[in-house]
Amino acid sequence: MAEEVKKQRTPPDPNSAKYKLGKIAADAYKDAIAAKERGEKVAWVSSNFPVEIPETMGIATVYPENQAAGIAARGAGTRMCEEAEADGYSNDICAYARISMAYAKLKSCPEQDVAMPDVLLCCNNICNCMIKWYENLSRDLSVPLIMLDIPFNPDDEVSDAQVAYVKGQFLDAIKRLEDITGKKWSDEKFQEVMENSCRTSRAWLAATAMARYTPSPFNGFDLLNHMAVMVTARGKPEAAEAMETLLKEYQENHETGKSTFRAEEKYRIMFEGIACWPWLRVTSTGLKGRGINMVTTIYADAFGFDYDSFDNMIRAYCKVPNAINLETARDKRVKLCKDNSVEGLLVHTNRSCKLWSGFMPEMSRQIGAECGIPVVSFDGDQADPRNFSEAQYDTRVQGLAEIMDSRKGGKTA
Amino acid sequence: MSTQELLRRFHTVAAAPKSQMKKYLEAGEKVVLTAPVYTPEEIIHTMGFVPMGAWGADVPLERSKEYFPAFICSVMQSILDLGMKGVYEGASAIVIPSLCDSLKCLGQNWKYAVPSIPFVPMTYPQNRWGKVGTDFTRAGYERVIADLEKAAGAKFDPAKLSDSIKIYNAHNAVMRKVDEALARHPEITAAQRSDIFKSAFFMKKEEHTVWAEELLAALDAQEPGADKVKVMTTGILCDSPALLEIFDDLGLHIAADDVAAQSRQYRTDCNEDGDPLEALADKFSAMDHCSVLYDPDKKRPHTIVEQAKARGARGVVVVLTKFCDPEEFDYPPIKNACNQAGLAVTLVEVDRQMRNFEQARTALETFRDVLA
Repeated sequence: MAEEVKKQRTPPDPNSAKYKLGKIAADAYKDAIAAKERGEKVAWVSSNFPVEIPETMGIATVYPENQAAGIAARGAGTRMCEEAEADGYSNDICAYARISMAYAKLKSCPEQDVAMPDVLLCCNNICNCMIKWYENLSRDLSVPLIMLDIPFNPDDEVSDAQVAYVKGQFLDAIKRLEDITGKKWSDEKFQEVMENSCRTSRAWLAATAMARYTPSPFNGFDLLNHMAVMVTARGKPEAAEAMETLLKEYQENHETGKSTFRAEEKYRIMFEGIACWPWLRVTSTGLKGRGINMVTTIYADAFGFDYDSFDNMIRAYCKVPNAINLETARDKRVKLCKDNSVEGLLVHTNRSCKLWSGFMPEMSRQIGAECGIPVVSFDGDQADPRNFSEAQYDTRVQGLAEIMDSRKGGKTA
Repeated sequence: MSTQELLRRFHTVAAAPKSQMKKYLEAGEKVVLTAPVYTPEEIIHTMGFVPMGAWGADVPLERSKEYFPAFICSVMQSILDLGMKGVYEGASAIVIPSLCDSLKCLGQNWKYAVPSIPFVPMTYPQNRWGKVGTDFTRAGYERVIADLEKAAGAKFDPAKLSDSIKIYNAHNAVMRKVDEALARHPEITAAQRSDIFKSAFFMKKEEHTVWAEELLAALDAQEPGADKVKVMTTGILCDSPALLEIFDDLGLHIAADDVAAQSRQYRTDCNEDGDPLEALADKFSAMDHCSVLYDPDKKRPHTIVEQAKARGARGVVVVLTKFCDPEEFDYPPIKNACNQAGLAVTLVEVDRQMRNFEQARTALETFRDVLA
């Protein structure tokens, strides 16, 4: 029997964006574990909690949503979800939350261990499910919870009343964090973090906007991976530097006719929703195999935190994708579709996310009509592999490809 | 009127909200729909509207699926379905709070699915305490007032709000007394108990208060029936006739509840002194022990245990509305709190499209046997 020949992997270039971004994400976990070992306080933080607060105060952070995504991507989603379900959590609850509750109990998961928290920083600008999840973490782990309530905004603009409400909580959160951690808020440091955060965001926006070129200089699935840095580390100078490297690489790709999408780009789509982490390869190859490049997602816009003052920073956090009304959410997507010459919309109806999926049918209808593109949806889940059917995904993507092909006169298939 | 006649009166209203709405509309009244779980009804009332609860119904879902995926709770689905089928036509507006993710989606979908009935959002703060919280609650109320003025040409008079607050406080008080009285009267069935609470959503509160007072007087004059097995219910809804029939068949007496559509509505009064709008904002900040209200110290499970014990309930029935994640998150802590207190607990999952209750019957039968 012939011996299996393992393909030699080229060692990553330490000057590449991919290496730098991967290192930042990996270091975040290590740094928190090291901080814990030094006796420092560690915070578990929800994804759209203003990173400026822990970053300014030098508090080590762990992002349970990133951890859950990592655990799910490495194949432990079912095992961890079932652990939570055995304790009474319904399998209808967000799978990130179930994985996180299971981790809080087990305090171990080889697929992604993290430092345990001394304080919880929750923000519900992505969903109210966060509140319930963090209430239970606080109770089970006996650690204090700081919850920044950024309500869903039914209007087009952020009202002064909402800014005042969020600002009041923001200042209170800082005070409570100072008491809990013994670390101090510094206006000078905040200024620095704010500049880093804006610099990172500008580079991210510019990099993702490179998809306007045909072919796109990148595979949109790259964004799903790089997003972890935008979530956790955008206030750090190394994040800004890595994102600027990413932008430079995409510019070079465009100039030299290269792309990280390793196939002929026959069709360009927008992917709507959180990635199916347990099925990332399947969902990616299902597109690539048909020459479909996912050139943009709402994440391209979601982390555009470019602001110039404390109040505008608060307004920016009030405008994250899941905190805005249907019309504002629709218009952001329509712009992305038009700017990036999108030919179809693939919607992930995510069982874990009621808010993201709850008005998606109407919104995607409106996007399809406004942009004149076909819309196809599939059922899935961000972290529970049991809620995804490969056959259904394949059929739906095939259908989308056929419609896009027929619109091109049947010349591309 | 006998107790049974009084109960039949509640049943007539609870079972036919559409007739009730028609009656108000024909009398020249204007109706504003109020979605779960809390809305500033006192404001709606003082502006001259009849607030009518819109908590959906046990109906097959036909049209709502054009807007909602299947994993949104049947309460939201059926509210939208009824709206799309024209059941609420004639209402001047619907007030929908953003207290859970599905309610946020209901509001957004409503604008396109039922364009004939204006959507009025009520954005409550979750950090509802202190000046920062109450100022934002007040801003939410002012938004509701402005929207209702625009939608239906009504006017808000702050001076009159105090009168509405008194009417609502009086109703709260009588409903709390009714709840206490029902705990002493096992002969009142679970279905009848539900009718008393449910009818309150479809009547002017001043009218419901009169009926509730008459019922209280009748109950006071009546000898309590033979003891049954006392239980406490908790959940969003507990109004399905088929489910309630099981409670009655099995001799389970609901001696207390922590149901959102029942007692949770009547726990908190509003201060009758001072600026009424401010007082109403303070009322919201005082509300607690509810799955859709931020509960940093997770007091709700403990409160349920304490209430069950105080009423002599031997077990807690968690009536879980499927896909209601605020309640689903609270279930493990409630279960643990009951276990630690030596209180039996069982879970019955329900939705508004449920036709077969045999699983629920089996669960409750086993539960009754355990308690006995």
